Amino acid sequence: MENKHKSARERFIHYFSDESNRRKLAPYISILFGLLAGLILMLLIGQDPIKGYINILNGSIFKGLFEGNFRRLGGTLAIATVLTFTGLSVAFAFKTGLFNIGVGGQMLFGGFIVVLLGNVLTLPKPVHLLVIVLAAAIGGALWALVPGILKARYRISEVVTTIMMNYVAMWTVSYFVRRWIPGHYETESSMIKESASLKFELLTDLFSGSAINLSIILAGLVVVFIWYILEKTTFGYELKAVGFNPDASKYAGMKVNRNILYSMIISGAIAGLAGASYYAGYTNHVKLGVVPNFGFDGIAVALLGLNSPFGVVLSALLFGVLRTGGEYLNAMTSIPKELVDIIVGLIIYFAAATLLIQFMLTKLIKKMKKNDEKHIEEKVVE
Amino acid sequence: MDYVIEMLNITKDFPGIRANDNVTLQVKKGEIHALLGENGAGKSTLMSILFGLYQPDSGVIKIKGQEVKITDPNVANEYKIGMVHQHFKLVHNFSVTENIILGLEPKKTFGRVDITYAAKKVQDLSNKYSLKVNPYDLIHDISVGMQQRVEILKMLYRDAEILIFDEPTAVLTPQEIDELMEIMRNFVNEGKSIIIITHKLKEIKKVADRCTVLRKGKYIDTVDVKNTSEEELARLMVGRDVIFKVDKAPFKPGKMVLEINNLKRTDKVNLSKSLDVEHLELREGEILGLAGIEGNGQTEFIQVLTGLKELESGEILFLGQDISNLSIREKSALGIAHIPEDRHKHGLILDFTLEDNIALQEYYKSPFSNNGILDRGYMKQYAKDIIKRFDVRSGKGELTLTRSMSGGNQQKAIVGREVARNPKLLIAVQPTRGLDVGAIEFIHSELIKARDEGRAVLLVSLELDELLNLSDQIAVMYEGKIVGSLSSEDADENKIGLLMSGGNNVGK
Amino acid sequence: MRKLFALFSVFVLFTVLTACGPKLDYDKGTFTGPYCDDLDVFADAKKAAIGMVTDSGTIDDKSFNQGTWEGIQCYNAKHTSAVKYLQPSGETKEDYINAIDNLVDAGYKMIVAPGFKFENAIFEAQTTHEDIKFIIIDGAPHSGNYVPDIKSNTVSVMFAEEQVGFLAGVAAALQTETGKVAFVGGMEIPAVQKFGWGYVAGVAYANDTYDLNVVVTDYLYQGTFTEVTAGQTIAAGMYDEGIDIIFAAAGGVGVGVINEAKTRTEAGEEVWVIGVDSDQYDAGKYGTAGKSVILTSAMKRVDLAAYNYSGALATNSFVGGKQVTYDIKNDGVGLPANNPNLAADTLTKVDTVVAAMKADTIVAPNTKEKLTTYLTSKGYVTPGTITY
Repeated sequence: MENKHKSARERFIHYFSDESNRRKLAPYISILFGLLAGLILMLLIGQDPIKGYINILNGSIFKGLFEGNFRRLGGTLAIATVLTFTGLSVAFAFKTGLFNIGVGGQMLFGGFIVVLLGNVLTLPKPVHLLVIVLAAAIGGALWALVPGILKARYRISEVVTTIMMNYVAMWTVSYFVRRWIPGHYETESSMIKESASLKFELLTDLFSGSAINLSIILAGLVVVFIWYILEKTTFGYELKAVGFNPDASKYAGMKVNRNILYSMIISGAIAGLAGASYYAGYTNHVKLGVVPNFGFDGIAVALLGLNSPFGVVLSALLFGVLRTGGEYLNAMTSIPKELVDIIVGLIIYFAAATLLIQFMLTKLIKKMKKNDEKHIEEKVVE
Repeated sequence: MDYVIEMLNITKDFPGIRANDNVTLQVKKGEIHALLGENGAGKSTLMSILFGLYQPDSGVIKIKGQEVKITDPNVANEYKIGMVHQHFKLVHNFSVTENIILGLEPKKTFGRVDITYAAKKVQDLSNKYSLKVNPYDLIHDISVGMQQRVEILKMLYRDAEILIFDEPTAVLTPQEIDELMEIMRNFVNEGKSIIIITHKLKEIKKVADRCTVLRKGKYIDTVDVKNTSEEELARLMVGRDVIFKVDKAPFKPGKMVLEINNLKRTDKVNLSKSLDVEHLELREGEILGLAGIEGNGQTEFIQVLTGLKELESGEILFLGQDISNLSIREKSALGIAHIPEDRHKHGLILDFTLEDNIALQEYYKSPFSNNGILDRGYMKQYAKDIIKRFDVRSGKGELTLTRSMSGGNQQKAIVGREVARNPKLLIAVQPTRGLDVGAIEFIHSELIKARDEGRAVLLVSLELDELLNLSDQIAVMYEGKIVGSLSSEDADENKIGLLMSGGNNVGK
Repeated sequence: MRKLFALFSVFVLFTVLTACGPKLDYDKGTFTGPYCDDLDVFADAKKAAIGMVTDSGTIDDKSFNQGTWEGIQCYNAKHTSAVKYLQPSGETKEDYINAIDNLVDAGYKMIVAPGFKFENAIFEAQTTHEDIKFIIIDGAPHSGNYVPDIKSNTVSVMFAEEQVGFLAGVAAALQTETGKVAFVGGMEIPAVQKFGWGYVAGVAYANDTYDLNVVVTDYLYQGTFTEVTAGQTIAAGMYDEGIDIIFAAAGGVGVGVINEAKTRTEAGEEVWVIGVDSDQYDAGKYGTAGKSVILTSAMKRVDLAAYNYSGALATNSFVGGKQVTYDIKNDGVGLPANNPNLAADTLTKVDTVVAAMKADTIVAPNTKEKLTTYLTSKGYVTPGTITY
């Protein structure tokens, strides 16, 4: 009887006595800390923090929701979709021991291929969509292939090569867009055909004309697929093994270099899909001279999502909410939008310091246990 | 009774563990005092407290009856406490003298270092205790045994009266060990006091006057070594009776399993690790021990054998088939299992669960997986079986991250994984390094069992006792060559020790 | 536990729902920037709520965004208002529309959008928010087919950059010592192109009228508005070729050009830069004597447009559904009133050209084709490597 009705405190101690539970909880704590820090900041600049956070939620989700206008929610989901892809791309590479910070470039190149094929091909919509999605994955993979080969063959750090490929992507895309698919203005490509747009009338109407598009379904599928690969297949098992410990993987007879290459290619392919989601679902054309910053945001998303596919989804949603809500906050109050950037930055900061947070939890649990022991001893003495 | 050092009721907590629990150590002037305990018994923590690296949570330290606070190693130096660490702290491209005077350089005008004066002082000290060290030699030119003497000279140069040796014999040949013990006795005759940290009973019997035993952080006893048998010491250390001699069936060699001819490999970085193995053979039902001082090519030899490193030329015959060009996986699939030297680097993926680690060698084939899809159910059941059969202890069974497990249990998991594959050839490299007695016994018995079942076992170890105990045949490697091979009946510590240090070839 | 959670959710929803309803802060701002003193005061202006969306740059880009915002702020300084700018989180139509929606939801009654990038977004917004006024600068709303479709709540403001580019060209031709001048553009967008075309035409005009032989020996677009170092490198190459005056219509790239000119001038060379959008004289100052490398600036008064339409909103005199052009006639473009680095003779001649433009006797070319025709008519020979 007594065992069944453990006190909240006992349950708390029991739960956090397990290291992996402590690790799982760390992101939530870092989010909490980040939001708390934001609250303090708002107080410091003389603003009402409750109003601030309500505005963030309103701007990203609730405003108009109850009058049947799902536009804001749709917009947030569209952003979260792109972030899910880039976050997943980074997370997958992380899981396999690689730090792919060139997701932006891979996304851009994948997106360029999408826009190119969306312009020049004439196909029925279902076929056209299938083609551009596949092409996006191939394009992103191709762009990650170079750093992959350099890493696998010559042990050149992918941190350097992937980021350099961002610039190569930016100017290569600029060149070919101008040559093949110039837009009305020199700074952009022409628009893709309607048949290549991931926007889907039913979905767009459902969300009151927002940018939400079919790639959200694709994202769901890819997340599950990647999770399945990593957890359920020998291929994923090898990739993770090589990521955690290349020496032991070699010892176990795995082909380390080949796995590094595969890993990079898959990470690039996911980044390419982010390109499809963004360029065929959101913008419908490519702007020149910029590398999309979703790539770097993806690093934050992956970090906060503990590099797990489902964690990435949650963390992408959070970032989507903050990103879209921040602007509304800026419009509604005199709290600058940068505050949201600070909150995001702090969350990442705390997430990077998860070890510290875990350590603090460990100490807390120990202290609580000690107190309990004392308590029991005292009782015994009585 | 006059104690030169007293550490009374010392308690020291680390997060999650009590390293020292009310430990008392009293050392008399002019004695060699052994500190005995298994890995993790708290010996090093206790000595680190004495040397000022840690502060005790409670308890007092007295030196010559005076209560003192040793806040850092400099304070320890002032109380004339010196320590030779297990891993030497020497600058390799400095000379002996330069290393010894580091931090205490005698100065001439304009702050120039008076090397001649220092070198003379070092030479005098060396002569006095017959350490045979040349003050002008560079560290990277002298042997490990000599490097240890430099560490000793460092203490002497600082006029240390209390000398702490942390596992001083781990890196030495039997001959060097004898010499070291001689040196230690000279010191105590001079009136210095010595604390020697070790888990080797033989050495304690040989050199120590008294012995304090720790077990799991707790003080067990302090005994007079003369009146205490090795068995008794072991019992104090482990907490139960320990069997020293392992039982094994009579030697019945079968078919030839492994034959190596003219295996060569040049190591461009470190020539003494280059390999030149003329001939080596191993049969079914045989344990071949490979002896040698650390760094004489054993590691490289095994890596070439298993495929982790490439060989230059030569022949490796496995059951008659030349496998020198096969990949690691092909070799493994033929029936070669490998308990690697470095369990963290090669043996385990520390961030994997036990379940995943146990599948590490066979995940790719049925029944662990089918068509590339892992059979998690089978993997779990298999892991559970291994855990049970090899008594691997862990917090959450097969779901435990191996990183969070103790070294002994990690090693048991590896041994279990490799032995359970029923290999024809089992290569075990230092399979008991750093483990406690219980785990060592267990692993020894598993190796013997494998042999008795007719498998060929290649055992590489730095511990002569282990080799002499288990092997049917012992080969000695020196600078990448097999310099001798003895059957276990012929072998003894002296003969092997001589071969290990590159002495004349015995038994050839 | 669950009950508690449900209660909490209800509370949150309630707060969220009741927190709606914008309350704007009508505060009189202060303004210390240039020009504001010269702007007219609207006699019967009421409080206005004016929002602005920035394009790719930041609000202090020393150019487009800043000019627009200064106009709005100036209005606020004279007539207490509620003003706000938002920097969108991206550069796509969706991002722009989100920013506009946010401003509208917050209660702003007019949205100013500086840049052709807003064309699609304004096209949608002008229909969605019929009761909101929109000002788009340098562009016209369209559905994606580039056919302007300006609703009655929207005004499209264009500038005659070619006119002031022309004046810059005349001034450059009259001031150059080496007979070689150059043009550096940022991105190849219409506004920048028109500056360039006018500039070349101005040089040709000066050659023809004052019997000079000045050549635009280099003419290029760097491709961004941000690469300061690239601007410096380009300028260094041009000055080395003997070019002594560069017209930089290039944002941050222009900053690089100015930096290079400063370095060279301090080292004793005599080189000049013609600034763009606002009077960049101060940005070109070097040394301690307060001298500047800015020969003159091709000003484009976006602030004037923003100011005027803020007033129109407040006085209920807003008339939409049309495109207006700010040109030399309504002081929408022009050289600064003070030009310490131009010779008196040059100023006189430039004033003549201004007068002629106002009288339509000089028409600066605003397309590539018109430029070609114009150059031919003036007998100007384009160096072989240059395309406009």
